[in-house]
Amino acid sequence: MTTKASFFGNVWENLFDFGRPDSRGQRIFRRVFEAFIGAGSIWLAWYWGEYILRISDIVLELGFARYIDISFMHGNQLPIWNAWAITALVVLGFLRIDRWVPFGRWAYMLATLLLMLQYAARFVLGEIPHSSNLVGMGIMGFALAELIFRDRTEGGRFAIGFSYFFIGLGYTSAALSKLVARGLTWPDGRHLWLWVNEKAVDEMARSGSVELNFVQQLAVDHWWIATAFLAFGLLTEACAWLVWFRKPRYLVMWGVMALHMGIWVTMDILFALSVYEILLLGLPWAAFIDRLFPEKTSLS
Amino acid sequence: MQSAQREFVVPCGQSGKLPPKPRKVRFGEPMSGKTLSNKARTTMWSVIFVYALTVAVNLGEFWPFSIYPMFSQAGNPWSRSVVREVPPGDTLSWDTTALADIPGQPYGVRSGGVDPIDLANFVSKTKEWDQDRVEALQLMLLADPPKDPLRLMVYRVRARLTETDSVAITATPYVLVGTDLAPDESHLNPELR
Repeated sequence: MTTKASFFGNVWENLFDFGRPDSRGQRIFRRVFEAFIGAGSIWLAWYWGEYILRISDIVLELGFARYIDISFMHGNQLPIWNAWAITALVVLGFLRIDRWVPFGRWAYMLATLLLMLQYAARFVLGEIPHSSNLVGMGIMGFALAELIFRDRTEGGRFAIGFSYFFIGLGYTSAALSKLVARGLTWPDGRHLWLWVNEKAVDEMARSGSVELNFVQQLAVDHWWIATAFLAFGLLTEACAWLVWFRKPRYLVMWGVMALHMGIWVTMDILFALSVYEILLLGLPWAAFIDRLFPEKTSLS
Repeated sequence: MQSAQREFVVPCGQSGKLPPKPRKVRFGEPMSGKTLSNKARTTMWSVIFVYALTVAVNLGEFWPFSIYPMFSQAGNPWSRSVVREVPPGDTLSWDTTALADIPGQPYGVRSGGVDPIDLANFVSKTKEWDQDRVEALQLMLLADPPKDPLRLMVYRVRARLTETDSVAITATPYVLVGTDLAPDESHLNPELR
C-alpha cells in the first residue's frame, strides 16, 4: 500500500511541476498548448457539425446517445448552432472572461459537454473513432483547471500534466486491450496483412482506386517485417505510461510519434490532431523558447 | 464574534481558547505547494474513477474516455464497403464475386463528402434492411445529387485469412441507390429483403 501511494505521489509530482520556477518559455508554451487544444475542439465541433446534417438514422449509440434520444440533433440546424456555441465558449474561455462575466470559469467545461453531445450526434453510424480523444481529454483538462485552480500558472501546469497522464494511460490501455484479446500472438505479421488489405479497401471506397505503397508491399511480402512492425507498436504502447515521468517522457513521446508514423504508412491512417498534440508535448518547447529569448534579469 | 463562539472552559476551571482553526483557502488566493498537490491528486483520482465507471458501463467507450480497443481483434475476418457506378441500362447481378471482378465503374465516396468507414459500418451493422435504411443510405451517398442521373451499387466486402496464409476478399452487392430511383426495398439484394 505504501509503495502504491509513493508511486502515485511520484507520478503527480512528475506531472504537475507545482512550485517549480516559472519562465517565459513555460508561459508561452502553456498558452500555445491551450490555443491548440481550443482550436482543435472548435475544428472538431464544425467538422462533426457539418457531417451530422447528412445523418438521418441511428445504427449504434455512443456516449450521451446511450442515455438520451440523440435524434433531436438530426434533420435540423442544431449541430451548427452547437458548433457556434462551442466556438464562442472556447474563445471566451481562452480570453479569460471570468474577469467580466459571472460563472465565466465554466466556459471550457460547457464547451466540453457540448462537444461530447456533438460527438454523440456524429458517431451514430457504427464507427468508433479515437483520433479526437486526446483533444477531448485536453479540453477537459483545461476545463477542470479553470474550475479548480485560481492561479493560471498552476492551472496551466495541471492541464498539461493531465494531458500527459491520459496519453500514458490511453496508449497503455490500448496495449492491454490487444494482449487481453489476442495474447502474445497479437504481433503476428499475418494480422497486418489483413489490416493492410482492409485499409486498401477503405481507400478504394474513398477515392475509387488504390495502390499499395512501398512499405505496405514490403510488409505484405515479408511476414517477419510485418511482425516487427506490430511488435514495435505493441511495445511502444505498453511503455507509454512512462510519459508520467520527466526523464523518459520525451523518448516515449517520440516512440508514440514513430508508432503513428508507422500506422500512417502501413495502414494509411493519420490521427492528425493526435500527432500534432504529440509533437507539441514531445519536445521541450519551453526550454527552446527560454534559450532563444532569455528573460532579462535585473542586476540591481 | 468567531473567537467568542470558540471559547470554552478547560477541565481545571480556567477559561481558554482553542488554537485558531486552519483558515480555508479562498478562491483567488495563492495556494501552497501542498494544497495544490492535494487538489491535483483529488481531481485526478476523481477523473480516473469517473473514467473507469463510464467505460465499464458503456462497453469501453464514452468519449473522450475509452479503453482504446482498436486493432485488438487481430486476425479476425473484417467487413467493409465499396461503391461502384452502374450505368442505368446494365443488367444487375446480386451474386458474390471476388473483389477484383466486381462490375461497374470505380466511384469514390469522398466526392460526396462521405467517410468510407461510416458507409462500411452502416452496411455491416444494419441487421434489418427496410425502406428507412435504404432512404438513409441514399441520403448519405446522394445528399448533393449531381445533375446527371447516377446509380450506385453498394457492395459489402468481406475478407479472411485462409489456411494457406493468404487473404481472401469477396464482394456482395447489397443495395442499389440512384438519383432516378425511389429508395425502396425493391433495390435490395433479394437475400436481404
